Amino acid sequence: MAFNILVADDSETMRAVIKKTVGMSGVPVGEFHEAANGKEALAILEQNWIDVIISDINMPEMGGMELLKKVSEDEDLKRIPLIFVTTESSEARREEAQRLGVAGYVKKPFQPEAIKAILYEVLEKAYEHRMTETFDEGGGDDMDF
Amino acid sequence: MDELLRKSIFETFSEVFETMFFTFLEPLTEPPAKEELGGGRYVEATITYSGGHTGCFRFYFPKELARNITMNFLGVDAADVQESQIEDTAAETANMAIGSLLGKLDPGGNAALAIPETRELADFSPEKLLAEPGLSLFNTEFGILWVVGSHV
Repeated sequence: MAFNILVADDSETMRAVIKKTVGMSGVPVGEFHEAANGKEALAILEQNWIDVIISDINMPEMGGMELLKKVSEDEDLKRIPLIFVTTESSEARREEAQRLGVAGYVKKPFQPEAIKAILYEVLEKAYEHRMTETFDEGGGDDMDF
Repeated sequence: MDELLRKSIFETFSEVFETMFFTFLEPLTEPPAKEELGGGRYVEATITYSGGHTGCFRFYFPKELARNITMNFLGVDAADVQESQIEDTAAETANMAIGSLLGKLDPGGNAALAIPETRELADFSPEKLLAEPGLSLFNTEFGILWVVGSHV
């Protein structure tokens, strides 16, 4: 069963790179949605079923921390795991993200394998049954970059 | 700019360029001769931070370098690279490089990065940067990356 993914990053090229990386990770992707900031991400979340959010922190209008806060406070959205892919690497920022319930944290610059590893870890934790079904069907090939 | 900061800049910038763009940086201790500094097309990316520490870094990418890192970043051919993607990649480079640097200089996370800004400079001569304090130069296969930075 495929997963619907939302990527929030103000860099169009970074969104394209993450899309490509996720596509090569072996994770079955259904719909792939893109947002340039947290506000756009929330609008997409209102209209679409999303299984996992991959977000930057430093974005205009609404940053990733505020997006995470709004998602974790919303009864309908708090089930969705959120992974930060960000340059913000200080311990204080990580602790703040953990306090708000972030599911994973990848520091930019990143190796594609880092995205794959955290994506599998987060999806397996959140959707254990679906992941088992998916890989029993033969998904999850190794990445070939 | 003290040597420790200069070393941190080289290490963090190298990590960004090698990991994301497969491009190697070689620090230059001496600027090129003035007669080698012709004008040309550059992409300027500027990023600031404030709160606890303040700083401003300006990156000057020769257009050829900016185009090539964009190609490597996206994994596409030159013909498939759009102008907007070149400026976007320059902005993201500044964001990643200074974000990583700030992780070392400000481990408490008090300083917040601003959104980077970019612009294309049609006929820019980097000669005028030679007098700027906080200048770092990095040689690459596609020209010299000029970076002017301050950190307090």
